[in-house]
Amino acid sequence: MRLFHKLRRMAGIDTAQSRYAYGKDSRYGYVSESRVADKWVKTTCGYCSVGCGMLIGVKDGKAVAARGNPDHPVNRGKLCPKGLSEHHILDAPGRATQPLLRKNGKLEPVSWDEALETMIERIGLIQAKHGFGSLGVVGTGQLLTEEFYTLGKLVQLGFRTPNHDGNTTLCMASAVSGYKLSFGSDGPPGNYTDLETADVILLIGANIADNHPILCNRLERNKNRTLIVVDPRVTKTAMMADIHLPVKPRSDIALINGIAHILIRDGLINRDYIGQHTNGFDELAAFVLKFTPQHVAEVTGLSVAQIERVASLYGQAKAAFIGWTMGVNHSTQGAATVTAINNLALITGNIGRTGAAPFSITGQCNAMGTREAGFTSSLPGYRKFDNPDDREALAALWGLDVRYIPKARGLAYPDIIEAAVTGKIKALWFIATNPAVSFPNYSVLEQALRSVEFLVVQDGFHPTPTSDFADLVLPAAIWGEKEGTYTNSERRVSKANRIVAAPGEARADFDIFLDLAERMGVRDVLYPGWSTTQDAFREWQRVSAGRMCDYSQFTWDEIEAAGGMQWGGERLYSDGVFPTADGRAKLHLVPCEPFLEQPNKEYDFILNTGRTVEHWHTRTKTAQVDMLNKMVPNAWLEMNPIDARRLKLSSHDRVTLVSRRSKVANLELRITAIVAPGQVFMPFHFSESNSNLVTLGAFDPISREPNFKQCAVRVEKSAAV
Amino acid sequence: MALPLHERAIDGQSDALVRLTEDGIVFGAAKPSQATVIPFPSPVGPAAFPLLIPSRPLGEGEQYRFHFNMTKCIGCRSCEVACNEQNGNPADILWRRIGELEAGSYPDTQRHYLSMGCNHCLDAECVKGCPVDAYKKDPVTGIVLHSADACIGCQYCVWNCPYSVPQFNPERGVVGKCDMCKGRLEDGFEPACVNACPESAIEIEIVNMAAWRENYSGAESPGMPSAVHTISTTRITLPENTESVLERVDAGQIRPEHAHLSLVFMTTLMQAVIGAFLVLLLRRELDAIRLGLLLAVAGIALTISTLHLGRPAYAWRALKMWRRSWLSREVMLFTLFLFALTATTAATVAAQFHSVLTPRGLPQLEWLTAALGLAGTLASAYIYLVPARPSWNMRHTPIDFVLTGAFLGSLFAAVLCELPRSLFSRTPLAELPSTFVAGSLPTLLAVGFALAWLLNQGIRLYRLRRSSLFEARATFSLLSSELLSRRATASLVLVPLSVLILASGHPLPALAVGWAGALLARYLFFVSVVPLNMALTFVRTRSA
Repeated sequence: MRLFHKLRRMAGIDTAQSRYAYGKDSRYGYVSESRVADKWVKTTCGYCSVGCGMLIGVKDGKAVAARGNPDHPVNRGKLCPKGLSEHHILDAPGRATQPLLRKNGKLEPVSWDEALETMIERIGLIQAKHGFGSLGVVGTGQLLTEEFYTLGKLVQLGFRTPNHDGNTTLCMASAVSGYKLSFGSDGPPGNYTDLETADVILLIGANIADNHPILCNRLERNKNRTLIVVDPRVTKTAMMADIHLPVKPRSDIALINGIAHILIRDGLINRDYIGQHTNGFDELAAFVLKFTPQHVAEVTGLSVAQIERVASLYGQAKAAFIGWTMGVNHSTQGAATVTAINNLALITGNIGRTGAAPFSITGQCNAMGTREAGFTSSLPGYRKFDNPDDREALAALWGLDVRYIPKARGLAYPDIIEAAVTGKIKALWFIATNPAVSFPNYSVLEQALRSVEFLVVQDGFHPTPTSDFADLVLPAAIWGEKEGTYTNSERRVSKANRIVAAPGEARADFDIFLDLAERMGVRDVLYPGWSTTQDAFREWQRVSAGRMCDYSQFTWDEIEAAGGMQWGGERLYSDGVFPTADGRAKLHLVPCEPFLEQPNKEYDFILNTGRTVEHWHTRTKTAQVDMLNKMVPNAWLEMNPIDARRLKLSSHDRVTLVSRRSKVANLELRITAIVAPGQVFMPFHFSESNSNLVTLGAFDPISREPNFKQCAVRVEKSAAV
Repeated sequence: MALPLHERAIDGQSDALVRLTEDGIVFGAAKPSQATVIPFPSPVGPAAFPLLIPSRPLGEGEQYRFHFNMTKCIGCRSCEVACNEQNGNPADILWRRIGELEAGSYPDTQRHYLSMGCNHCLDAECVKGCPVDAYKKDPVTGIVLHSADACIGCQYCVWNCPYSVPQFNPERGVVGKCDMCKGRLEDGFEPACVNACPESAIEIEIVNMAAWRENYSGAESPGMPSAVHTISTTRITLPENTESVLERVDAGQIRPEHAHLSLVFMTTLMQAVIGAFLVLLLRRELDAIRLGLLLAVAGIALTISTLHLGRPAYAWRALKMWRRSWLSREVMLFTLFLFALTATTAATVAAQFHSVLTPRGLPQLEWLTAALGLAGTLASAYIYLVPARPSWNMRHTPIDFVLTGAFLGSLFAAVLCELPRSLFSRTPLAELPSTFVAGSLPTLLAVGFALAWLLNQGIRLYRLRRSSLFEARATFSLLSSELLSRRATASLVLVPLSVLILASGHPLPALAVGWAGALLARYLFFVSVVPLNMALTFVRTRSA
């Protein structure tokens, strides 16, 4: 029979008609039969923080199609290529399907019972010997808000280690710190419609065309805008700009201070706003005096005319918007840069009004949710560790003695890694993150992974470059297999729904956390009467009630119906009152320091890293989506033609990138004027060509965010393979 | 009857239809009055967003076409994914593709993107070349439609299209291409790519065909082959002042094309058979055994050729379009040649069995067979004279096919003459001196053919190298690349070597060497062709 089919196929009598047939979907009409769904489930995209609403078509219990939700206010029916193919991830190979425990050096399948009992026992023994703090836990902005909230309680109150952070520290910690420094709290003040209504939009280190493509049509729709893009690389976003400012790497602070200088010099400032709502203006005015256009031109490589023009555009705007992403955050001066940006908004009163906001466009689908509900860099609900009232309030809400609430933040992500290397951290638990690709200076990270006595990796996928090191692999459900909420960049809380069952024995992270609590005997204390993420949401509503991120205002059903609800309303600080002691925002003095590892004769290039639209982070997901992976199957290195001529290199040559730390071999060379002479760029997605072998392990002293964007490298032709 | 696009769009029941109109964002509803309109925020005012599909029915002499606005495209590739999702295609097949263009020097760099499905050309070469009439230019909409049922997977359309739009799906054995989502248009939806584009960079509009034929300059774009070949209907809005400078970023990465081994064997074998037949005919040395062998080789060659098809069982369909397709003509002429050769063989056998009776008309039959063979060889060569494949589209191609037939046929004939004389031989064995000895006319002719072949190849290479066309020069670079240069040299050495071996009196080794040379040369002909195509992306897996 099979032979018969094979012969029919070979002869061409069978052309796989049925697989390629077209059908009629009740909602979407004529479409490949394979994409016709029985029902459409509303959900929110699980990739980036834009937070697009989508409909996933389900047929016979399988996800068969993805569509943008036309009713969703964020994306109005549109999706990027990752979203449009997101249903494939629910049927992708490479999933972790059973718990694995390392026995005699090999990962072997075990039962959940054995896996979780072993985890508690091993961590318990380590903590008994080395203290509670010897456990480090790194979570992720991929988790649901309900899950991250649950995890925070489990780690801080169950495992009682303060050394808990999220991979969001690699991403937007600088924005959080900067907001806290200027305004007294985290919380992006604006929203996406500001992109449509602002008349001047300044994007700093934000390549939204590659990384947040569904925001771009807001700019397209805004016919009156002047778009200014500050980026050392001619990104796709720079191509959209009316004015592209090709600054030298890490000269953004000088530019921002220089704009402040011109604004103050020319009186293009809002003295009423400054007087009523800010502190520190006189100091700022004095401080930026030295950032003369001439000086700034020298530092940034821009012309005086460009700087003057951009400053006057910003100063004369009716509503000016500043958006930024990793170009600002990925820096040892990230938090400070954010405060410098906030300065501009504050002195011109470009905050709390339609179209006017200093706006951090964040990274992961639920990075914001982890900022609000996280028990990591602050207490849940934007409460502060060092505020006794906040600790008392939380203890009361949880029915706990206040002494259980930590008084200070534990170690941040990079410090957890360092402590693992130095031996202070003996057990590590990574949840839905892949540091072996995403963490800077891989060799140190590898040493940390190898040094700890017990490494738990909880992930939807296995093997990953990180789970290869694990002593215990816990298979987890991913987006589309569990229910809860995500918060996007504009504080919009949207519902993510369960579409299909998790494969094999994989379990929702939430269920794993509750099971662990149960086995530790803390479930009834920490999670009284809980069985679903909705129970977590209800408690989180009580915990956040009255806080800036107040979830008590809406239920799951209301969120679902509205296509997401924004906590804090459309925008924050409309009244000019900030959550500081005196209600005023603070203007900071931000010096512009050169980045740490400057190029020299031996390492003569500055390496910039970034992303491409086809892939998501460390590619654990997008490498499994055939369409996306075949579009961009490998990493590349961009080099200016001037440098390529000097090094006698041609396009598609295989090159090796060498830094003081390590090297990345066999990179496909792209000779292009996208990058400046003396600079090279590569995407960080590829574990096969891991940019983080060469990146610098330098961190922002305030936010602890790594400086992924600049380090010194040289480029050599790879030896023939 | 025109597609009732507008009416369907407004009257459609589905709420999935999202339109950006001058009033705002319209969500489809049962009646226009019930449609939900989300107005644009007031400071922006009514934006000048056009409808993305035509708002009126087609008139006389009009068709639908794509409009791609390069100034809006951000290269996000949503259109590519949406197209594959719409059509259920695997990741290796992209009916809509993105290309990258660059110009300028840092920081005044320009980066732009192309997005292209099918251009639904006025003079679609895919339609004209198809041997089975699987293509139709829809008389109502102008959409170039392809029928997977009719298709036999010969891939001649893949060769003919200057944009490499039709793509062969090995899983199905047939070609497929963009049909402008005709099925969606009929439902009142935009094509999947149009619907997916977050920047509204792609739309469907109406074009007056006669006016467009007069002036189709709007179809031209950097990174796109000239519209002159097929009169592409796609209108491309270009950024200002970049037309002359934007360059494709994929040019440094030329990959060998498919080798089409079944065609390498079929063409060289058929040319050898026809050449040998002619040589033997002229020498009056056709006998039953030799004819039988020629017939056997021709039969094998034509059988092998069907393996080139995605659907060999339907090879016979290729006869259908002999009035316009060179591929049909080749199939027809070679089939007729086979019939004539069979008849000649049968008649010769009959004549030798009943040697008294010389069948009337045998010489005429022999000459008819020869004529069909020659015509078939030329038809075969004309298949490759397609503007979309510059290194094939040269007079060197038919010359090569004829000369390959001549020298290979001479070698083949020499081998056949060496065979022990059969019972059926027309002349007594002893009377016939060996034809192919050193210095004999046939041998000298074989040497001459081989040298002419070599000269033709040499001039072709020279002209490829000096061509003004990028694709032709790229073929030369491929042939002189590390990957192919040794094979190219070998083919150029083996062919003259073979006639020297013949002259030294060893026909069988001579044929082996000569055929090897011809096979290599034909293999290189196929793999080194660089088709016209749209500009593609820098990093990618697939060559299409």
